[in-house]
Amino acid sequence: MSTGHNRAVSEVLIEMRGAGKRFRTWKRREGFGGFFVNLFAREWTEVAALEGIELEIRRGEFLGLIGANGAGKTTLLKCVSGITPVSSGSARMFGCDSFALRDEHKRRLSMVMGQRSQLWWDLPAIDSFRLLREIYSVPRSDFELRLRESAERLQVTDMLQRQLRNLSLGERMKMEIIGAFLHEPDVVFLDEPTIGLDLVSRETIRRYLVEINRARGVTIVLTSHDMEDIEETCRRLVILRQGRVLFDGGLVDLKARTYERRAIEVHLEPSSPGWDAAFEPLLEPFGARLERAAPLTLLFSVPAPAVQRFVPFLFERFAIRDLSIEHHPLDMIIRQIFQQREGGA
Amino acid sequence: MSTAAPSSSIARDLRLLGVAFAYELRKVTAWRAGFVVRELMRSLWRPLVMIFVYRAILVTPEARFGGFDFPALVAYLILAASFEKLLFHQRGLDLADQIFQGYVTKYLTMPVRFFVLALGRFAQHLAVQSSVVAFLWVVGSLLFPQWWPRVASASAALQAFVLVLLGSYCAFLMCFLVNVLAFWLEVVWTLSAMASFVFSFAAGVLVPVSAMPQSLAGALRWMFPYWAVSAPGELFLGRLGTQEFLRGVCVLLAWVVALELLRQLLWRRGLRRHIGAGV
Repeated sequence: MSTGHNRAVSEVLIEMRGAGKRFRTWKRREGFGGFFVNLFAREWTEVAALEGIELEIRRGEFLGLIGANGAGKTTLLKCVSGITPVSSGSARMFGCDSFALRDEHKRRLSMVMGQRSQLWWDLPAIDSFRLLREIYSVPRSDFELRLRESAERLQVTDMLQRQLRNLSLGERMKMEIIGAFLHEPDVVFLDEPTIGLDLVSRETIRRYLVEINRARGVTIVLTSHDMEDIEETCRRLVILRQGRVLFDGGLVDLKARTYERRAIEVHLEPSSPGWDAAFEPLLEPFGARLERAAPLTLLFSVPAPAVQRFVPFLFERFAIRDLSIEHHPLDMIIRQIFQQREGGA
Repeated sequence: MSTAAPSSSIARDLRLLGVAFAYELRKVTAWRAGFVVRELMRSLWRPLVMIFVYRAILVTPEARFGGFDFPALVAYLILAASFEKLLFHQRGLDLADQIFQGYVTKYLTMPVRFFVLALGRFAQHLAVQSSVVAFLWVVGSLLFPQWWPRVASASAALQAFVLVLLGSYCAFLMCFLVNVLAFWLEVVWTLSAMASFVFSFAAGVLVPVSAMPQSLAGALRWMFPYWAVSAPGELFLGRLGTQEFLRGVCVLLAWVVALELLRQLLWRRGLRRHIGAGV
């Protein structure tokens, strides 16, 4: 890669200005009668998948895109990668309208959809890579070198010749990722790449992504429901909710918001009394909040200065098997952001 | 990012076609049982059944069916089966599946014309089926020399082959069109099965078109399936001449142009609908 990471760190590669995406759909009435009514009188509705998105992604960024199912993450990826046009505003990549990207622009991007394999099931991955090499016009020597390096880093060198159907889910995803980086793209979109993978595979993939982002300055946009993925790879986070950007900023900034609070996870003995709504008022003097209650596990958010008083209170009320005090995990922070916005709305 | 020096669009497409052809060849030979069932045995059963049907109909040596005696019908059916094997078939393309499952969107982010990849599948089909047919002809002519069709002349064989190739390309375009309907419909496989049956009938795979009622045969002579199977069979046997061959080339070229224009139109509209629906 000839472009120096530091030199071009400020270059904007992806830009969305007031971008919106609306889909038109019709309601299907139930029953046999509804079927006939549907034939002649359809009730159309418009669904806003994205609304007023303002986003700038620069070269070398590693951005995490999170949100609940249906929040608009995949739609956003499709709009910026040129798969689908925006309905309002603009989406641009490499300075061009995303939906009018030319071949020379497409050679600079790559997309991995965790649930949509681009490799052929009955063939070894190496055969699919050769086709990708031709599609992206990668010189043979570069192709061999990158393939060898990536396969070594992802620990799948001896599996390149094995039929894809005979690989584990984790190995298949590693092959997908190798395929996505073979042409050394400037921008890579990863849509839930670690979905369903075991811990070791997830860690290997995360490490590979972080390394390649740092070494080559590749811009990576990652969507995932796995907060560990986000925490361990992304420096910037965009949270989407119902098609709107709820938060856009550094992961460090996000964590600093709740730096003064701690998460206390309590594991109860089977003989212990469980959580009761009647305990709720007892939390107020500590400024504590119950975040999650399972039969034998409770999770509290507590102001840091109150921890010393709150822990003895817990021991008085419950038979505790284990207890841990940590900074707020990312999923709790995000849940709090959602709750704050709901409360404010 | 480093890539090879940019080349002209046509040269690039041709190179990609070559690689896609090799890739498709690897795919089709990756699964041996699948290869035997799908590639070797496909299109053999219907003509085989028809041989027994005609045997039951033509009980005496003098009996005729549309001007064919029994040995001539057997020769015709062997040719029809051979030519049908060379024609691209509905199950040869999994585009409808790719559309249903949303895989087709990934090609929109790639610097590639999707049709070039599909053409690789067509080239693979021709290469594999030509080899299979050549193999079956060698085996068949050794085992059943008295029944095996004898070519009228070298030029008749060449003319028949040209018509089959053009007809196969028409069949490929037709398959592509039916698959593209998956952008709008959820019943593509039913349509494919129906189209396949209509195609077999119109091509004369079961009954020679010249043996059909004159009005029907006259109408079918404007359709490409007739010129892809039945006409080449009769050319091969010397029942049709060069005049008919030239007419066949004209009809098939007109079909290629019409189907290609329709393909481009439906593909563009389908993609627009696909992405509009946010699949």
